[in-house]
Amino acid sequence: MTERQEAYYGEEYENGYYEEGYEENFGGDYGEYENAPRETPSFSKAGVMKWGAAFLILVYIALLLIYTSGSTKPFEEVAASVETLIDKENLVKQDAQALKRYYGLNSADYEGVLFYSAEFSISAQEVLLIEVKTEQQVQEVRDAVEERLESRKNTFEGYAPEQAQLIKQAQTQVRGKFVFMAVSPEAEAYAAAFTKGL
Amino acid sequence: MLFSSITFLFMFLPVTLAVYYLAAPQMRNLVMLAASLFFYAWGEPVYIILMLLSILMNYYCGLDIDGKRENPQFARRSLVFGVLANVAVLAFFKYYGLVMETVNGVFPVDIPYRVLPLPIGISFYTFQALSYIIDVYRGEVRAQKKLIHFSLYICMFPQLIAGPIVRYIDIEEQLMQRSFGIVKFGRGAMFFIRGLAKKVVIANSIGSVYEEVTRLPVGTVSVLTAWVGCIAYAFQIYFDFSGYSDMAVGLGKMFGFEFRRNFHYPYVSKSITEFWRRWHISLSTWFREYVYIPLGGNRCSGQRNMLNLILVWALTGLWHGAEWNFLLWGLYYGALLILEKFVWGTLMERLPGFVQHIYAFVLVMVGWVFFFSPSLGAALDHIGMMFGMGASALADRQAVFLLTTHWLLFVLCILGSSRGWSLLCAFTESYKKGRTQRIMSCVVYMGMFLVSVAFLVTETFNPFLYFRF
Repeated sequence: MTERQEAYYGEEYENGYYEEGYEENFGGDYGEYENAPRETPSFSKAGVMKWGAAFLILVYIALLLIYTSGSTKPFEEVAASVETLIDKENLVKQDAQALKRYYGLNSADYEGVLFYSAEFSISAQEVLLIEVKTEQQVQEVRDAVEERLESRKNTFEGYAPEQAQLIKQAQTQVRGKFVFMAVSPEAEAYAAAFTKGL
Repeated sequence: MLFSSITFLFMFLPVTLAVYYLAAPQMRNLVMLAASLFFYAWGEPVYIILMLLSILMNYYCGLDIDGKRENPQFARRSLVFGVLANVAVLAFFKYYGLVMETVNGVFPVDIPYRVLPLPIGISFYTFQALSYIIDVYRGEVRAQKKLIHFSLYICMFPQLIAGPIVRYIDIEEQLMQRSFGIVKFGRGAMFFIRGLAKKVVIANSIGSVYEEVTRLPVGTVSVLTAWVGCIAYAFQIYFDFSGYSDMAVGLGKMFGFEFRRNFHYPYVSKSITEFWRRWHISLSTWFREYVYIPLGGNRCSGQRNMLNLILVWALTGLWHGAEWNFLLWGLYYGALLILEKFVWGTLMERLPGFVQHIYAFVLVMVGWVFFFSPSLGAALDHIGMMFGMGASALADRQAVFLLTTHWLLFVLCILGSSRGWSLLCAFTESYKKGRTQRIMSCVVYMGMFLVSVAFLVTETFNPFLYFRF
């Protein structure tokens, strides 16, 4: 020990007090420290992943609400948002008989029906909006719409390919109890108006 | 996809069975998982992602809780997270609309809100996930480290859509190792065919009687007609749901799994307590294990016990649907169970058996009125008609017509929901006794299958009633 160390540590160090203190404080056997149970970390990989999955569920539900949810707004309100945009020079409002004839659907079965179709058969333009009463009716209406589109596509393909193209680009949406379909050069605008109106 | 559909019976099931049994044993879980995901995606192409995310979340919840086993405080926090997250997702899809409707009804506001359809099976797979993480926390099971095994537990197609609610502890070993054999497969096929016949032949047919009664204008329904409609619904929901459960158990056996039974002739019960030991057994077991017992069960004061029962049955009612009449239905049974336990249970046991049967029967029928009615008012109207208030007469031609044209169906329903069915089953399953009985058994089951397929071919879309839960 140097003179400085001796002056600093004093007798305790020389007497081994320091070492005793070390033992007392830190344990004589380093192996005990290694073997002592570690505290459980408050977070783990599984803990992080569960939060991640929960966050993804939240995001997914938000996306569903934005892009697929229906609305409880009255049918008239939703229909009005579409009807104001409809090109009434080329499309004529149709009645329940027309819905039955072209789609095989009874308008009395549903909460509300908005049906516009071209006046002349040379045009494939159509706009349909139906609010169903029960979830089971959604599939029934969807099937009728798909059948109508398929049938008209086959009809127009022969003699009016540009109309057939319009049908291929038809906008169809199901949002809750609302089923929407538009065949028109403005179909995207009508679909946007429908979505906004919900 | 429905079990009772031509697509399932003649395409999905044969293909899945073939691939499953041709696959190497260590690949069978993966095959079944893939088939289950396809099965679910067929009907819910959008919500399959939600189910997969729920599986992931619960898988890591289980691992997290298991990893914190030595620190109860952290493990508890993980459990609370898991329970709250699962309940929040279920509550959002099921009860958000009810809450908004109630707010709009009670307060002078008309707040429009976005609605999402209820994902099929969410009540069932969420409850299974909850039972898993709670059992991991309790130390009854270790967390499943293999994601494939855990995913299969949650979304196995036999029980995914409408139960039974399978506890992880009942299936843990079977996920790793299960027995196969021609006898087990055969018994599974028999269960499946019985369930199919219950659903397609009996439930759908008796359901049409119920539909006829509901279509009658108000004021033209006699007491007898009201009872005929109610009893028809009681049989429809029993054969529909127990038929589905039988099909689920049968499919499980065909794939090597053993599920517990979910129904045990509930309509032979002599008390409401007994009824709930025989009806939807997996659900009442779940609520007992994970709500009633943690609340204290019956190991507390009488008052606390009553409160526990009321709470459990309120939740049971709400589980069935987001309508106030379901809550009332649950509270109705909660009140009856309390009365049986604390007031007249002992007295009832001293009465003759047939009196007890009538007592239980009448109370269960009244309960079903709350279940099938679209609103509370409609339920009270129907109950009134059943007891003479608001009915057009005691009996009328409509009631006699329904009974005389469907008498055989009602007889089948009575036999099928009571000991008559077990006698028929004993006869058809007497194949062990000899060659003749074996052949008879095959003929009967093939006949049941062919008749069921004939009914399926002629009918339109016929979902299971419990799909809406």
